[in-house]
This record gives sequence, structure tokens and C-alpha cells, in this order.
Amino acid sequence: MPLRVKFASLWLFLIVFGAIYAKLDTGLFDGKLPLQNPNYQTNGFDVTTGTFGTGTPIESMSGAHWLGTDAIARDTFARIVHGGWVSLIVVVVSAACGVIVGGLLGSLVGFVRGRVETVIMASVDVILAFPALVLLLALVSIFEVRNLFVISAVIGVLSIPAYTRVARANSLAISSREFVTAARAIGTKPSRILMREVIPNVMPTLLSYAMVAAAFVVVVEGSLSFLGLSVQLPTATWGNMINQARRDIKINVAQVLWPSLALSVTVLSLNQVGDFFQQRSAVRGSSL
Amino acid sequence: MGVSAMRRKGLHRAIAFLAAAGLIASACGGGGDSTSEPADSPAEETTSEPAEEPAAEEPAVEAGDEAEGDVDTEVVEDDTVQVSYGGSISVGLEAEVTGLRPWEDNCSSPCYNMMVAVYDKLVEQDVTGAYAPYLAESFSSNDDYTVWTVTLRSGVTFHNGVALTAQSIVDMFPIQQAGAASAGVVASSGLTSVEATGDLEVTYTLSAPKAIFPSYLARAPLGMVFEAGAAAADPDGFSMAPVGTGPFVIESRDLDNKTVFVRNADYWGSDPDGNQLPYLDSISFLPIPDEGTRLDALLSGTVDAMQTLRQGTIRDARDARDGGAAIELLESQGNNVGGGMFNMAIAPFDDLRVRQGLISLNSQEQVIEALGGTGISLPGTQWFSADSPWWSQKVAEAWPKFNFDAGVEKLNEYINDAARSDGKAVGESIDVELSCPPDPTLIAAMQVLQQTLEATELVNVTMTNYDQQTHINNALGMDNGFQGVHSMHCWRWSSEDDPTAGILAFLSEPTNFPNWTGEYADEAKALAAESGATDDFATRKALFEEIMMIIVDQLPIWYSGHTATAIGTSPAVHGLNGWHVPSGDLGIGFPSAEGRWSEVFISG
Repeated sequence: MPLRVKFASLWLFLIVFGAIYAKLDTGLFDGKLPLQNPNYQTNGFDVTTGTFGTGTPIESMSGAHWLGTDAIARDTFARIVHGGWVSLIVVVVSAACGVIVGGLLGSLVGFVRGRVETVIMASVDVILAFPALVLLLALVSIFEVRNLFVISAVIGVLSIPAYTRVARANSLAISSREFVTAARAIGTKPSRILMREVIPNVMPTLLSYAMVAAAFVVVVEGSLSFLGLSVQLPTATWGNMINQARRDIKINVAQVLWPSLALSVTVLSLNQVGDFFQQRSAVRGSSL
Repeated sequence: MGVSAMRRKGLHRAIAFLAAAGLIASACGGGGDSTSEPADSPAEETTSEPAEEPAAEEPAVEAGDEAEGDVDTEVVEDDTVQVSYGGSISVGLEAEVTGLRPWEDNCSSPCYNMMVAVYDKLVEQDVTGAYAPYLAESFSSNDDYTVWTVTLRSGVTFHNGVALTAQSIVDMFPIQQAGAASAGVVASSGLTSVEATGDLEVTYTLSAPKAIFPSYLARAPLGMVFEAGAAAADPDGFSMAPVGTGPFVIESRDLDNKTVFVRNADYWGSDPDGNQLPYLDSISFLPIPDEGTRLDALLSGTVDAMQTLRQGTIRDARDARDGGAAIELLESQGNNVGGGMFNMAIAPFDDLRVRQGLISLNSQEQVIEALGGTGISLPGTQWFSADSPWWSQKVAEAWPKFNFDAGVEKLNEYINDAARSDGKAVGESIDVELSCPPDPTLIAAMQVLQQTLEATELVNVTMTNYDQQTHINNALGMDNGFQGVHSMHCWRWSSEDDPTAGILAFLSEPTNFPNWTGEYADEAKALAAESGATDDFATRKALFEEIMMIIVDQLPIWYSGHTATAIGTSPAVHGLNGWHVPSGDLGIGFPSAEGRWSEVFISG
């Protein structure tokens, strides 16, 4: 495994670990783990003391706040770690939708062909013909309450057509391979061939595609957040952190830089790991 | 369409316009303001001379001047540099001006910057805030303020060569009666007819006494003079090729890019020394919506001037200037004040205890800090900034200050009331939808409010951000009898215009205006109507104070800070501060980041 892929994997592991840790902190452990509350304004009113906190907005890096604070004196490091959770969930849901629904659909039409293929692929082409972000904005704006479930579901549904295309292309190729012809020749039922021969061989390609598609999904979610159309405030996402920090960019560029870096490095890492797996699955496919 | 239906439509337009004009926009956005409503200050006297704003010896006037935290740039004569003719400047505006028709296109701060280049107003405000003749040579009224006579300057021509006469003003009136921006203003002014009673004498007849009528002649819808013949011939084309009597003539207009005006060689105006205006050969306006980019454009010399209505930008501009950047800032702390409103037509905001509780939990200093306005924007307590002659110490002291315990107590009273209006069980938290346009500064301020409200454990806050038009429509409630679908809603209040019209609109009947219900309305509305029927400063100030005290009692709205605005310029640009009305007195300056360009010149 090349060094760059090792670094990329390490980064992705940290993001995933951080996101799960953050979720456990706010959920199971009720804020008792050593991570600051991402929504707590350190200069806000403290009910216990009856006074306002002494935190400073747009603070630089310090021991108390490793990456400084944002415009309302919240800990930036905690918000970046928590922001990873939104990206993680959206990626997982979109990949799940894509691989399961898109993968099955593409494998089926690539194997069965005929009118079913014509109808389904025409529908997929129509959906893909719309600019993805525009369609996404239109769908998201329908929902009055935009929580993580809604955002993930919408992005997940819109991921299906692309996965369907990839799965169909692979299914077409696999369906004409010798082992599929042999299975047909010995009278194996088509459904069994699909489940035993086609889908298992489509999956490696589809999973490696999912890694690359995940990078795109992270960017899409970031764009929605930046536009204020992703999960609602005060939930931290990298996109809304960039949006909120841009006002103070002349005072403290780091507050824009940190979430931007988190987003960029994650996208880069997903691409690196995705490319690596794609190469691996291509090699494996050619040896079938 | 029947007459009543047309009137209703005009009223709806006026409401929409007023609502839009009052909104946050931008930092609040953006806001701008500007208003459909008549301008400022005390009413005119029945003479041809500018009405005296409050007399200098009146202590009430001085109260505002002495208030703490004055952050304005003083309006003074800019006589340090010799004026010179020639040259061109470019001005960065916060938004493109969609149309340049005073009767049709709602005008906010960027729009006024552009419109005053091409149109003259009949009346302007001088440095005291009083109304002074501008394109009008004089104005006066009868004893009961129902008939106003305006005498125009002689020898003035429009940019297309047509002479300005009384008939020009008369011909404008039918267009103004039907215009999207002016129809509501015509209605609210009570203007029933405009007649030419001489070559240059125009008589305005009102349906009711209106001592503040000249203020209507100082704003775009009724006050900006356009060539009615050209407007009637091609109303749509007029938006791109306006014809006025102003100091500059339009040369080219490329929407969303650049609008260029060149010197009007036949302009009637002159400076106090008798030099013909304007000084500049041309002026260009460039819409640069992004605040940071607009400031950078000034710092890099891409533009020679820029306007802003955002505290954060003023802060950055101050930092740049203090760091050695060669720019100058003309700052103004306007009457316009940010904050929001409660929809008193719905529970639980129909209950005074809830409003009292929520406002007691509004820490203005923290909200202003989140808005980026610390040291720039002063906390609001009323519709007037501390610099306004209408400002009241009594109201400032009476406005509820942040008090967590008091807020909790009031909310508890409501929550534990078996007859609570929201139908929830005793002890259940109240639900609040806090909504602002999706501006980063507003979002930050919302989250400050949210944390404090939720710290009580008595309030469930849902934050929503809709685009500005949706935000306005939610409050407007065109589909539900003007009740609106909002609850705790970011908004802006007041302007530099005369307070009466704005207050009257604010206090309209619940079925006509979305946000305001309650027993206070009738009493306050009567006071507002009374304020429009007298030109006595002390009387009016007392009436406004009484209205503001009713607002303090009923708390339909809350405040954050006053809107600081600024025009930044290159040091070579002069004349924005210290322009004059024709009498030779100083003009009002640059409120709401609205510049006047006829006396601007370039040094060196």
C-alpha cells in the first residue's frame, strides 16, 4: 500500500473515530468525555454562576481551545470533530443507498436486459440529466425541517442513479463471461446466476466506486451546509463553520481555514483510498 | 377592477414595501433601509424657509447629543482642500439597483446612491434634520396643513431638454398614483390632488392635515422629479434610461456590472461659492454584493468609494484604516435598529408575560458582539438613536434590560398558568421558532439568543433561516389575513425618515398588517396621527416618547443594536461630507450610507 494511501487511511480513521467519539460524548456519556461542548458559547450566560462567561470570540489557538474559537466563542476543535459526524452519516447513508438499491438495480438490468433495462436506464438518464446540485437544492428546500435523516436520505436517493449506471456496466460485462455462460448451460436458474455469479462480482467495483463517490458526497453536503440548507443550527458541520467564519476572515483566517482543511483533506483521502481500491478491484476483475 | 379593489391592491403593495424596507437584510443584513416612507424630522413651518429642527436651547435635543457612545462621523464643511473640476470615480454598492424609476422601483440605500445622481428631490434635509427646499425654491402650507404650495426653481431643464414647470410635477402625479413604489405613499400621505397654480407653482391638496408633508417630498416615491413625458412613453425603458434634472446624466447601464453617469453640463445647482455643480466628469456605480470583496475593492483602489450597512465590514474597514490603509470612513449611527418582533396573533406570543420573559433574556451586548458590532453599534431601546433629536432618556431607562431571573420568573408565570394560551399542559416548555435571513452575522446572533433562552429550560427554540423574500412573506401573511406564519422573527425598525409615517404603518390594523395586534394599537395610533398633524417639535417629541413607552409596556418587538452604516472613500475623494442645500447650509450628511455626489471632487 503506497504511503499516501496509508496517510489517507489514517486521516479517515481519525475522522471516523472522532465523529463516533463525539457522538458517544453527547449521547451515551452525556458530555462526560474529554471534549468540549461544540455548541457552548464560552462568553454566554452561565446559569450556575449567574454571570456571563469570560470566553473570547474569534480567539487564536490556545491550550484551552486548540483551534481557537468562532464568532460566538465556541470551541472550534470540538465543532470540527462533531462536524465529521454529519459528513460520516451522509456518506454512509448515500453509499448504502447507492450500493444496495443502485447496485441491485444495475446488476439486474445488466443481466436481464430487454424492456426492463430500457425503462430503468431511461429513468436513470433523466435523473442524471439534471444538474445534481440544482436538483438537490430543490429537493432539500421542500423540507421544512432539515435534520440529518432528511439530508442523508435526499443525498442517498440522488446517489442511486450513478451507482445504477456503474453496476449495470459491470453487470453487462460479467453476464457475458464464460462462467455465467457455463452456469446457464447447465440450467442454473437466472435468479441464482444473478445472486451467485453476477452481484458478487459487481460488488468490488461498486464498493471502490463508493469510496470515490463518498468524496463527492462530502463536498455536496459541505455545499449545502455553506448555503444554510443542510442540518439546522446549531449543529456543527464543516460547511456551516466555513460560512459563519467567512465574516471574520480578515480578523482570523484560521477559523475559515480549519474546517476547510478538514473538508479538503477528507475529500483528498477518500479519493486516494478510492483510487487504490479501484485499481485493486480492476486487477481482480481482470483475473476472473 | 373596482376602485376599492385598486385601493386595496395599492395598500397591499405599500404594506409589502414597508415590510421589505424595514427588513434586515443583509446584517442584518443588509439592510438597508430606506424606506418608502417620508423622511425625517420635525415638520415644516408654514414659511418658505427650511423648517427649524428643534431649537438648540431645547434640552431634549441635547439629550441625544450627549448620550454615551457616539460613534458617528461629524458632518462638517470639507474646506481643507481646494475644489477642482474633472475626473471620474467609481462607487461600490452593496447590491444592484434593479430599477431607476422612483414611482415603480422600491428604493433602498444602494438605490438612493444612484438615484440622487440622476434625480433631484424637491426637498432635502439639512444638517439639523430639518427639511429645506432643494429643487423646490420654497414651500409653505395653509394654516391647517391641508394645502401645500411648492414653488419650483426657474431655468431648470430635464436631461432631455424639456423645461421643468409646475405642469411637470402635475404630470408625474397619475404615474405616482399607479406606481408600485409610490401608490402606497400617495395613500399614506393623504395626497388627493396636484395642481399647477402658476408656471412654477404647484399646489398639493391633502385629505387631512399633514404637518410633515414636506418629508414626503424628500424621498424617492413623491419627491424625486422625473420627466413624465418620457416615463409615460416608455415606462420600462425609463428604468434603464432615466431622465431627471439631477447633476449627472446616464451614459450606460450594464445590469449587475456597471452603471455610468456623466456630468450634466446644464445642471442648475451651484456650491456656496457660486461654482456650478457637479465637479466630477463622471461617476460609475458597481454592485459588489460580497462585503469583503467590496471593502477589498476600496483598499486595492479598484473603486474610489464603497458603502456598507454591516458592522463587521465597518470593523474591518476601521482595522484596515488604523493599520495604515489609505481610506477614510464616514460613519453614521442611524435610527434604524435591528432586532425582531413577536407575532402577537399566535400563542404563546399573545401573552405579555411571554414577551416580557423573552425580552428579559435578550442580552443585547452579547447579541451585538455576535453581530460584530461591539464598539460600532449601540444597543437599541427605541426607534431613535442617541443622536436623534427624538431620542428619549425616559424610554431608554424604561426599556427592559437583560435579567435572567426576571425572564425565568415571567416565563414560569405563563407556563404554570392553567389557562395558558398555547394549549400545552401546565409546566411544559414553550416553543419558539426563531427565524432570521441566512446571513452569517444574524445566524451568530440567533445562536446567542438560543443559548440564553434554552438555558432557562423553559423554552424550546427552533432556528430557521429563509431567504429574504420568504422571510418577509412569512411575516406579511398575505394568505392568512396578514397574521403571518412567523413567531419570533428578525426584523428592523425605524429609519432616518420622519417617525410619524413609519409608526403609523407599524400600528396599522391587525387585518391590514401582519404583525401587530393588541389593545395598545388604538391608543398609540391616535398619538401617531396626532404627531402628523402638528409641526411643534416639543409636542411631537412628547407624542413619540409616549408611543415608545407604549411599546415598552406591550413589548411587541425587541432590539439588538442600531444600524451603523458607513461610506468608505479614498483620501483623494472629497465633498461627501459637507455637501450643501441650495440655501448654503450643510446637508444632512450620509445617513444610511446614502451619499450625495454633486459636490464630490477629486484632489491631487
